Amino acid sequence: MSTALETSPPTPTTTPSPTSAPGRPRRRGTPAWVGAIGYLVVLAEVVLFSLATDRFLAPENLFNIVSQGAVYAIAGFGLAVVIITGGDDVIKGGIDLSTGVLAGLSGIVAAVAIQAGLPTPAAVLLALVVSALFGLVNGTAVVLGVRPLLTTLATMGIVGSVTFVATDNVKIPLNDPFFDWLRGGDVLGVPTPVVVLLGVYLVMSALVGGSTWGLRSYAVGQNPVAATVAGIRPTRYIAGSYVVSALLAGIAGLLLASRLSAAVPGIGGQILLDIVLAGFMSVVFSRRLVVSITGTLMSALFVAALANGFTLLGVESQWVGAVKGLLILLVLAVAAIRERTVRR
Amino acid sequence: MSDTRTAAAPVAVPRSPRPSATELASRLLAPLVLGVILLVFSLMSKNFLQADNLLQVLNQSAILALAAAAMTIVVRAGGIDLSIGVSLDLGALAAAALIADGYVPGVAVVGGVLFGLTAGLVNAFLIVVLRIRAFLATLSIWFIGTSLQQVLTGGGAPIYLPKSTVPDGFAVLGNGTVGGLPVPVLFAVVVALVAWIALDRSRWGRVLTAAGEQPSATRIAGRLTGLSVAGAYVLASALAALAGVILASRTYGFIPASGQLYVLDAIGAVFIGATLSKLGRPNLLGTMVGVLIFALLANGMNLIGLSFYWQGLARGLALLLVLLTSVLLARHRATR
Repeated sequence: MSTALETSPPTPTTTPSPTSAPGRPRRRGTPAWVGAIGYLVVLAEVVLFSLATDRFLAPENLFNIVSQGAVYAIAGFGLAVVIITGGDDVIKGGIDLSTGVLAGLSGIVAAVAIQAGLPTPAAVLLALVVSALFGLVNGTAVVLGVRPLLTTLATMGIVGSVTFVATDNVKIPLNDPFFDWLRGGDVLGVPTPVVVLLGVYLVMSALVGGSTWGLRSYAVGQNPVAATVAGIRPTRYIAGSYVVSALLAGIAGLLLASRLSAAVPGIGGQILLDIVLAGFMSVVFSRRLVVSITGTLMSALFVAALANGFTLLGVESQWVGAVKGLLILLVLAVAAIRERTVRR
Repeated sequence: MSDTRTAAAPVAVPRSPRPSATELASRLLAPLVLGVILLVFSLMSKNFLQADNLLQVLNQSAILALAAAAMTIVVRAGGIDLSIGVSLDLGALAAAALIADGYVPGVAVVGGVLFGLTAGLVNAFLIVVLRIRAFLATLSIWFIGTSLQQVLTGGGAPIYLPKSTVPDGFAVLGNGTVGGLPVPVLFAVVVALVAWIALDRSRWGRVLTAAGEQPSATRIAGRLTGLSVAGAYVLASALAALAGVILASRTYGFIPASGQLYVLDAIGAVFIGATLSKLGRPNLLGTMVGVLIFALLANGMNLIGLSFYWQGLARGLALLLVLLTSVLLARHRATR
C-alpha cells in the first residue's frame, strides 16, 4: 500500500542513479542534493576517523575495510536486485533473509567438498550450484504467491539448520591454495578481494543500470501492473532475482570463508543484518531514493569502515552496534523527511 | 501493490454465503498440520501424548505465545516489529536487575515492563512521526537495543539470581502453578484473550485493522490512524517486555540476547495463523495455532532424540508447507 504512494510517477528515464540530472528537464521536486546525503555521511565518516587516528587511512587498514566490506557488498548486491524487482515494501515486497545463511552454507559446502578430496574448481562450482538451487526454491515459492519475507524466513531456518547438521557445529579448516590466494593474493599488485569486489560490482552495475534486464526489473518492482501491461512477465524477473541473490550470496560466502581460513557454522546469521543494512541503506545514495548497486557498495563499505574505525579508536565493541543503529536512523530520518516534503 | 503475488490479500470479492470446499481446506490447513504433528509424534514416542508432557509444551511455548501475540498486533497494523526481542530482553534485564537490587516483585514487574516499553515508544515515534518504514526502524532498534544490553551488562555478562534470594512473589511468575496450570500459560491465555478483544472486538482494533489495510482511506475517513498505530507498537513492546519478565523469573536471571530467538518464530507463527482467516488477516487464534505447531515440533523432535540442529529445518519446512499449500489452494479457487 505504502509503496503505491512512494513510487514516484513512472518516468521514462531508465537509470535511477543520480547522474541523470544534467541536460534533462528538472523533475518536479527532487533537489539534487538528496542524492548526496549518503556520500556526505561517508565523507564525514572518513574525515572524522582519519583525523582521530592516523592508522585509519594506512593502506593495510583500507585493505581490511574493503575485504570485510566485500562480503556485505556482494551479498548486498543480490539483496538489492531482489528489492529492486520485488518493490521495497518490506512486508509484501522483495526481501531475502536467506542470503546470510546461504553465504555460510556455500563456504561449508566448499570446505566439505575439498576435505572429501574434490578438486577446488569443482568444490567452488558445487558451492555455487547449491546456493543457486536454494535461490530457485525461494524464487519458485515467491512466484507461487508466498510472501518473500516468509519464504526466505523459512529457507533461512532450513539452510541454517543444514549448516549445523552438516558440520555438527564445528568449524571446518580451509587450507587450499585457491582460498589462500582469495584471501591474501593479488592480481597485478591489486589484492584479490578488492579485484573480486570490483569485478562483481562492475558486472552487477552494468546489468542493473545498463541492461534491458535491469530496466525491466526496476519496472516490475515499481509497478508490476504497468510492467505486465507493457508485456513484461513479472514472475520471470522476480524468480530470477532470488537466484541471482543466492548466487551472489554464494560468492560472498566463499570470500568470507577464505577470509577466516575456515567455514564457520552459524556465521551466516551474524552477517545477515549487515547485508540487509547494506541493501536498504543504499537508498540514501540515490536522488530518487531507490535501491541501487552503487549505493549498496557505498553502504557496505560504510558499515565495514564504521566497525573498523571504532576498533582502531579503542571503542568497546558493544558500542559499535548502537552507533550503527543510531547512524542508520539518522540517515533514514533525513531521507524520510526529505521524501515527504518532496512529495507534497 | 503487488497484486500478482499476494493471492491471499484481503480483496472484497463477493462470495457465496457458504464457503467453498477449497477455501475451507485452506483455512483449516494450519490446524490440520497441528493434528498431523500430534499424530505422528504420538506414534513415534509414547511419552508425547502424556498430560505432563503436553503441559510442558504449553509451558515452554508461553513466552513465544506472548511474543507472537505482540507481533500479531503490529502486523495487523500493517507493520512489523523486529525489535520485540529487544523489548523482551530489556524487560528481563530490568526485572532481574531490580530483583538483584532487592526490590519487591511488584516493582520488578512494573519496572521491567516500563523499561521494555521504551523500545515501543521509540518505534512509534520513528514509524508514525518520522514515517521511517517499520522494518528498517525496528531493525535499527534491534541494533541499538542489542548494543544497549551489552553495555548495561558490562559486555554481555549474564545476571544470575541465587534462588534463595529471589522473593516467592517473583519466582512464581515463571515457575508457579495455579490449579495445575503453569502461571506462564495463564499469562499467555489471558494476554491472547485481551489482545483478541482489543483487535477484533474494540473500536481501536477496527481502526487499527483499517489503518493497516487501507492507510490513506482510513486517514481520509477521519480516523486517528497515527495514534492507533503508535498504540500498536507500544502495546506490542509492553507485551514482549512482560514475556521478558516471565523469562527472567523462569530462568532466575538474565542472559543477554535471549529475546532475539523469539522474533523470527513469532513472525512465522503470525503468518501461519493468518491462513486461518478468511481475509488472510493476522489473528490471535491462528497465531496461537502457529505457536503450538512450533512448540510441538520442538518437543516431539526432542523426544525422539533428534539433535537441536534439526529444529530449524523442521520449522522452516512446516512454515513453507503451510504457506505454499495455502496459496496454491487460493490459486485453485481463483482460477475456477
